[in-house]
Order: sequence, then C-alpha cells, then structure tokens
Amino acid sequence: MSLLELKQVTLRRGGCALFTKFSHVIRAGRVMAVMGPNGTGKSSLLLALAGMIPVSGEIVLQGKPLNEYARVDIARAIAWQGNLPPTEFGLTVAQRLGLAAGEDQADVTDPAAHMEVDDLLLRPLGELSSGERQRVELAALMLRDTPVWLLDEPTAHLDLRHQVACLKMLRRESEQGRAVVVVLHDIQQAMSVADDVVLLGRRGHIEAGAAANLLIRERLQAVFGVSLHATSLLPQY
Amino acid sequence: MRVKLVLIGLLTGCLLLVSMCAGDSWINPLRMNALDHTIFLELRVPRVLIAFAVGGLLALAGAWFQVLLGNPLAEPYVLGVAGSASVGAVTGLMLLPESVWAMSLGAFAGAWVGIAVVMAFSHLGPSRVLLAGVVLAAFWAAVLALLLTLLPEHGLGRAFAWMMGDLSHSDIPVSILLMAWGAALGCGMLLSRSLDMLLLGERHAAALGVDVTSLRRRLLFLASAVTAVAVTAAGTIGFVGLIVPHLIRLIFGSLHRFVLPASAITGGLLLAMADTAARTVIAPADLPVGVLTAMIGVPVFLWLLLKRQS
Repeated sequence: MSLLELKQVTLRRGGCALFTKFSHVIRAGRVMAVMGPNGTGKSSLLLALAGMIPVSGEIVLQGKPLNEYARVDIARAIAWQGNLPPTEFGLTVAQRLGLAAGEDQADVTDPAAHMEVDDLLLRPLGELSSGERQRVELAALMLRDTPVWLLDEPTAHLDLRHQVACLKMLRRESEQGRAVVVVLHDIQQAMSVADDVVLLGRRGHIEAGAAANLLIRERLQAVFGVSLHATSLLPQY
Repeated sequence: MRVKLVLIGLLTGCLLLVSMCAGDSWINPLRMNALDHTIFLELRVPRVLIAFAVGGLLALAGAWFQVLLGNPLAEPYVLGVAGSASVGAVTGLMLLPESVWAMSLGAFAGAWVGIAVVMAFSHLGPSRVLLAGVVLAAFWAAVLALLLTLLPEHGLGRAFAWMMGDLSHSDIPVSILLMAWGAALGCGMLLSRSLDMLLLGERHAAALGVDVTSLRRRLLFLASAVTAVAVTAAGTIGFVGLIVPHLIRLIFGSLHRFVLPASAITGGLLLAMADTAARTVIAPADLPVGVLTAMIGVPVFLWLLLKRQS
C-alpha cells in the first residue's frame, strides 16, 4: 500500500538543486534506506517527506498532497527522528518521552526498556552521553504510532549492540506494516535492513530501486567514489 | 509539583502581606487608626500589588523569550522593547513636561513601536531575531542618549528615576495590571504544551505537530506586549525576567504548566520584596527598585551559573 508518494519532486538548497523531478512510491511494510555522500540531500529529503521544507513538484500522503495537511495531522501520520534535541532547559528523559507520547503520564516503560534507558528516566538530557541521548530519541520514536517513520542516521553515536537493536527494531516495525525511511551511511547496515534504496550522488544524481539491485559494488563505487571489496563491500584502503 | 506550587502561593501571600505592613513605619493590619488605614489601603496595598503584577509579567516574558529564542540568557528587554519604551518616555517628557501622563503614554507608544519593528523580523529564525534585537537595543540606546543630552536639566531626574525602575508613580491602575497578569498567565498556560515541545528545538516541535511559525509569531507578540505593559507601569527593571525562570526551572523542572504559574508568582514576589526594601532601607526616601533588583540579580544569577556547571 502506498503511504507516501513523490511526484516529480525537485529539492533545492541555497538556490542549487539537490535533485530534480524525482518520482518514487514509499510503501507500507518496507524499509527504504537513503544513502549517498555528504551534502547530497539525504537529510533534506527526509525533511521534505516530513513536510518541513518546501519542494517543487508534489509529495502525496495517503492520497492527499502533503501541503494540504495541517501540521498536527502530518504528525499523526509521520514521525521524524533527526538531530539530538538541545539540552539547555533541563528536560528529563521521562519528560522527553512524555512529549513524544503526547501526554506526561503515558506509559513509557516498554520503549525505554527496549532502548535500555529505563534507568535514566529521571536524568536531564544534558547529563547523558550522545549514545544515551540517541537511544532516548529512538525510544521516543517508538512511542509514535504513525504509519510512516523517518529516521536520520539512527545508528549514529550507538555502540555495536545498540546498532543491532536499532536495526532489528526497524525491521520488526516494517514487518508490522509501518513504512520506514532511514538515512544510513553504513553499507552493511543498509544491506541487513533495507528492502529498497534511494542512492543520491553528486551533481543531482538520484536513483531508487530494490536494495538487491542498488547495493552492488559497481553502483556504490560510482556514487561514493571509493574502491570496495568485491564480496564484503567494505572499503579497500 | 502541585504541592510546591501551592506552598509558593501561600508563602507569597504571607510575604505580600508583610510587604504591605512594612514601610517607614510598621502598620499592624489588625490595629489600624484612620491614618494607618488610609496609608495601608491607598498607598501600600496598591504599590505592593503593582510590584507583584509587574514582576510577574517580567518573569513570564522572560520565560517566553528564553524558549522562543532557544537561549537561556534571553530576558524581556533582549529585543529592544524596553529601549524603545524609554525613548518614548523621554520623548513624552520633552514634548509635555508638565503632564503627569506624558512619560507613561510615551513609553507605551514607544514600546509598541519597538514591538512593530521586532515583529517585522518574526519570520527569521531564533538566532537572527536575537541578533536583530541586540542591534535594535543598541539603536534605541543611542537615540535615548541623544534625547537625554537634549532634555532640559529639570527633566533629567524624572527620566533617570523612570529608567532605573520606579513603582511609585505607575499610571496604569492596579486592577488593569492584575488583569494583565492573569490574562498573560492564562494565554501562557494555553500554549504551555507547545512551549514544552519547542524546548526540543523547532524541527522536533514541528514533527510533534506544532505549527512553529505561528507559535513563534504569537509568542513574540505576547512576550513583547507583556514587556510593554510592565515597562510602561514601572520603567526599566532588570534581572527579574532573567533569573526567575532559571530559579523556577531548578525547583520545578522544565514543563511550562508549572514553570509559568510559578514564575508569575515568584517574579511578583521578588519585585514586591525588592520594592519593599527600596522604600524602607533609607525611608522616607525611595531607592530605585531597578538598582536593587540588579544588586540581588547579579549574584543570584552567577550562583545559578555555578550551580548548573557543578
């Protein structure tokens, strides 16, 4: 089932087009990895899908143009996880999770336990490490029961154990019918979790398709400009 | 949290009563003669309530500006509204030196000119609004310095008294100020959930369903308007709007349904107590209350900084 659809979308930043007239369908029950070098527009694509930055062309959410939705209605359909929130004002982990859940008294136990932040609930966000804060953000995302999840580098700052937990969680959520769009830098992580891939390259290059067709040596070498090992796809130094 | 809020409310009520009794002579409200009765009801009660309302308004504006600009150092005067109000007040004094209303009317008009200028920048991001505010404040300070050099000597005393904070000559009735306090707190409470989300940053707030552009515009207008009322009533009184929200966040945490009422009450209490000290320390003369709030505010703020660091 199509949840989000990009129709002839052109995305610009600072007057320059990141990509032009891109069309693609994002379906329920699939994980789509967004990959590419720095500065090619991966995070901007996520923000556009969340309705936070304008695009030329049209993004359609459940049959209706995204720009015709009120902000609160977009939030009911799309959850976005991005940069770590600021810590100046002393919000605690429990308060941050309460805001994601929509009410302060919400039961945040399961997501907090899943991301192993349940013993940090009363701590201010500013006292946590980047990895702990990232796990809090993932727990916050788990409290958003929306059909679409957009995640911008969810495994950043995480140790190997929590990277695996994060990717398993994304896989499980997609199997339960959610559409998951995730920006990743690690090819092995993308291979382990993605059904579909969008590859962004320099000079407005963009292509989308099944992970099996795009996560191959020739395509990746061309996009990233590095030499990759033939079978493992690890970079050759 | 609710218990703490009730306790602060009760403590504030008691201390406001003490403030009303205190002055160059102590008045026992249970044993008042006719003169005491007049002084108590017609002078001290209104003055304490004016101080309470103005302090509460400044603390609310400070809390809003801090969230709006994403900067814990923001305070009600950060965007230059106090500067434009001061320019208005001194202009009023120059044009109508005999009028008792000239400074207040001028301050109110000046504050709204300042708000109009600030609102023109409301579509910019927080850091640019802050930058614009700092530059505007410098501009208004320069205009004020120019006007003060042109002001006849006999007007300088009134101008400086107003600029250092003066609760003795408020031209806005106490009932209006208390209504403004209540209305501002009510508006703030309606926005409290969105304000909490804004603590996560604009994108996270938007992702949770907040129309950030609209919220920022409303908040900017509300905070500036509240500052304008407070400045018109009492001149420029610093530090209340800066330190009270910080202090309250240490006690109540960050959620605005507690921060806003606690700030409105505590800001009022702080200014009422400072004003009580201002009119009793060298009674029967008054110290400028803005001087006292700065003398209290600076060490308290530095202590808060050290406490946060540790």
